[in-house]
Amino acid sequence: MARYIAKRLLYILLVFILISFLMYLIYNAIPFDRARWLADEQKEAYKYDPEGLEQLYQEKRTELGLDKNIVERYLMWLGVMPLNGKYNGMLQGNFGVSYTNIQQPVVEVLKEPMKNTIFINVFATVLALGITIPLGILCAVKKGTKLDTGVQVGSIIGYSMPTFITAILFIFIFAISFGWFPVSGQETPGSTLTGAARFFDRLYYMALPLIVMTFCSLGGMTRYVRASMIEALSMDCIRTARAKGLKERTVIFSHAWRNALIPIVTLVIGWFLGIFSGSIMIENIFGLNGMGRMYIISLNNNDFDVVLTLQMFYVIIGLVGNLVIDLIYGLVDPRIRINK
Amino acid sequence: MEEKNNDLNLSEEKQEFSCETNDNVVAENEVSLNDEAVNDVATEEENANEEETKGEKKAWKTFKHGVKKTGSTLWRWTRRTFIGASKDLVSEDKFGVEDIVSPTKQIFINFFHKPLAVTALVIFIIIFLFALIGPLVNKLDLGYNESYHVNIKPGYTFMNVPNDLKNNVKSISSFSYFSVGLDNNGKVYVWGNTKIPSSAEKTDLKNIPDEVRNSKVAFVAAGYDHIIAITESGRVIGWGEYEGAQYGDKGSLIGTSQVIAMPDILLNGTINVNDVAQLTCGYQVSAIVMKNGSVYVWGNYKSGATNMKTLRARTDVAEIQFLGTKCVALLKDGSVWFGNAEESLGIVEIAAADGSLTFKKLSEYQNGRKAVQIAATKSAVATLLDDGELVITGVFNTESETSVAQPVLAEGETVLQLEGGAKHFSMLTSAGNVYSFGDNNLKQCKAPGKTYGTDSKLIACAFQNYVIGSDSKLETKWGCKGYLMGTDELGRDVFLRIMHGGKQTMTIGAVAVIISTIIAVIIGCLSGYFGGWVDMLLMRVTEIFGAIPFLPFALILSSILAGKNIEENTRIFLIMVILGLLSWTGLARMVRGQILATRESEYVVAAKAMGVREGRIAFKHILPNVISVILVSVTLDFAGCMLTESSLSYLGFGVRLPRPTWGNMLDGCNSELVIGQFWWRWLFPAIFLLVTTICINIIGDSLRDVMDPKSSIEK
Repeated sequence: MARYIAKRLLYILLVFILISFLMYLIYNAIPFDRARWLADEQKEAYKYDPEGLEQLYQEKRTELGLDKNIVERYLMWLGVMPLNGKYNGMLQGNFGVSYTNIQQPVVEVLKEPMKNTIFINVFATVLALGITIPLGILCAVKKGTKLDTGVQVGSIIGYSMPTFITAILFIFIFAISFGWFPVSGQETPGSTLTGAARFFDRLYYMALPLIVMTFCSLGGMTRYVRASMIEALSMDCIRTARAKGLKERTVIFSHAWRNALIPIVTLVIGWFLGIFSGSIMIENIFGLNGMGRMYIISLNNNDFDVVLTLQMFYVIIGLVGNLVIDLIYGLVDPRIRINK
Repeated sequence: MEEKNNDLNLSEEKQEFSCETNDNVVAENEVSLNDEAVNDVATEEENANEEETKGEKKAWKTFKHGVKKTGSTLWRWTRRTFIGASKDLVSEDKFGVEDIVSPTKQIFINFFHKPLAVTALVIFIIIFLFALIGPLVNKLDLGYNESYHVNIKPGYTFMNVPNDLKNNVKSISSFSYFSVGLDNNGKVYVWGNTKIPSSAEKTDLKNIPDEVRNSKVAFVAAGYDHIIAITESGRVIGWGEYEGAQYGDKGSLIGTSQVIAMPDILLNGTINVNDVAQLTCGYQVSAIVMKNGSVYVWGNYKSGATNMKTLRARTDVAEIQFLGTKCVALLKDGSVWFGNAEESLGIVEIAAADGSLTFKKLSEYQNGRKAVQIAATKSAVATLLDDGELVITGVFNTESETSVAQPVLAEGETVLQLEGGAKHFSMLTSAGNVYSFGDNNLKQCKAPGKTYGTDSKLIACAFQNYVIGSDSKLETKWGCKGYLMGTDELGRDVFLRIMHGGKQTMTIGAVAVIISTIIAVIIGCLSGYFGGWVDMLLMRVTEIFGAIPFLPFALILSSILAGKNIEENTRIFLIMVILGLLSWTGLARMVRGQILATRESEYVVAAKAMGVREGRIAFKHILPNVISVILVSVTLDFAGCMLTESSLSYLGFGVRLPRPTWGNMLDGCNSELVIGQFWWRWLFPAIFLLVTTICINIIGDSLRDVMDPKSSIEK
């Protein structure tokens, strides 16, 4: 087992290095010169001294390491090669600087969005699972009935519907026509609420994005649960259990559900890891200050350190997620031997 | 015993399915014989075995016996009890049916027996043809916009002349999206999109003031968002929007230098109706020309007619025409007054034979000839001189694909009436012909080829034309009826954009899918077929690509493209390539898995043992198994790529405006105002996108069901 994990970790490291280098290359393809940008900020002071400005530009280039070649810069960014005599890269915990408004370390910039994203995603995931799992089981047990067909059609619509259309539609129905929820925003502007009141105020603002997120994930998940449950219900042990004269309830929840759980668990784990990444679409439409929105804003502002950090974060989440899923797979399904 | 029976039945059920999809005809005879035997045992021992009847039912349904489902079981039991089972077998023609149906045909039959799938297919084909043929028929001018038709509600109301008015028309006037008509009895009618879209108070122009309703009206004219009427008693009354001092003294701009307030005599007193020569309105401005040559002008001249202020002092005006932001006047001495707009409006371009242009002021060009009529579009003035020459000055472009060129009149045919719309001119000639020329995006130049009496009256509204006979009857009308799905913030037809956007979205989806499928099939086939280190290497590459987060990465790539200065078409093609490059991993794995599974299957081993060549095995034995996987995946991925494209475009990273796609048409529909009030701007593109993707997904799902024998068990 330990050997397997070690092997996988090594593999993750390899893939990470490859992808991060690829990403770094791509970022450097963006025609944007940070040193020039920084130097131009001082343009006023060097109004009558173009040579001084040029000198400042060169200084900035050296400071940022832009005079080195791409591989060296990549290694510096990783933190395995010294920049200006100092190891200062990702491995040292330095993810770069965000250059919007004020210069801030990326980690500081990402703190608040991360909190918001986790806040909303925890709710959305729990809500979605709470609805999809019972619905999927019900459909599997009553497959072929009108209810099942209805849910099937509904779920096709659900996963054929892009998030932004769902969001616009729900804003139209619930926020504008009925006026139940605010259209966008995170909390009442200028509110001074604290404690529980603030929590509920935020929840009120989060309600519509939450509903949209839940709705968007219903389709795929319901179909998945239904399919794995149907497969479980057609197993021999279920026939045996029925033949023994067990109650249908016991057969479904004790025998079939446990078998159906195996593929579902992996999916759920994947979902929980997705909590950190945030939804680019929903956060943008509802104006929530989350990771996804941060990503778009940074991309539009040429704030590449933030974008690169986020991108790396997404990659890590994906790779670690795969590992965790494989490990969990082994845990829930004793038939699978993972330490090969 | 029961358990054993169950097992047998299970195997029977599975075998039934293999019959259904006709995997191998040879094995199946035995199988069917077998399960008939099993059936007999079952019937004898246990008259009602649920599992068995289910299986039987399916079999019966599948082979189309024509006997009703519920009755069939009873009928079979009775028959078997009295006649015997062997007869049952002989009388069945299922083997015959099986023998002639090829797997492909069976898939077709099964597919077309699914009503949902067929409906989805039909709808998809309709939308596909709509997006494919529509753009060929209806051209889209990318730079087109129409500031007078911004955010118009869906509907064909622009030319709905009220029936009471039709036979008794005195005048019809329209400057934007509504029209106002006056009959000979002095009654006013309003039609068109009468609710002003930009108005916060939802002003409805149909609410004609009581004073106008109850008195006889002599003149009425429509401006951009207001209507002015002069009653027989000489009162000047306006309704509609008033913020820009269009009428009355309530507007918030009144008292500022932005506007010319309505003259006091019009506001509180009366004028002699018999002295009024003309009433006309423009963009938030209005003018009354008196027969003695004096004028009253008022309104938001800074936006409606910047040169209007100096017109007030003149006493020799015969006619005033409003353009988009200017006005021109025909003076009594036969010259044309431009005010300070002469530079832009009063210069005649004379093209010499060698193509060079010389410029002359209109007054110089006239050279003693008198102007008899003037007409104006938004940006051009047409002047009819007394020797019959028609001079057009200002900006008037008839060279685009969607416009109609100025007609060449026959020898001796002269222009009797000249009228101007927002982007076109119309004229009635001495031969009784009517011509319209200029912009034809809204069909305002689709003049009928018939002839009319030379004493008819031609009225050209902004986007509509009417011919009124000498008996005041409405003879004919042509022009913009309205918009099927409304217009957007630049006055563009949403329906037309959906048509062209569909073409763009589907093209991107299709090309992206083709790219991703080609990559996936090549990688999957190589990996699955060769195995070993090739497989190992290719699968690691696949995993790396799979680990790249899709949407963020696509966003970065397209933002890099945005930074580079490349042509839009190239950029769109690169977006297709990006989508294709990022979405092949899933299919590649599936193809590899399928090939691996098939390669080890018994019939491939058998074929190898028989000495069949490698290539033949690959194409005849393995490929057909993979094709079904590919086909299903292509269908579903097509929908996926369309959605991704829309999402990218919606975020502003895909296809850019003004080029439409279903995704970027929703861009800018993010505000509460648009979602709530201008619902047609997002609802219709969304419906089209949704219906298309749902149909494709249903088709894909059904394909999977009919192609994969195992999945039909789950059905």
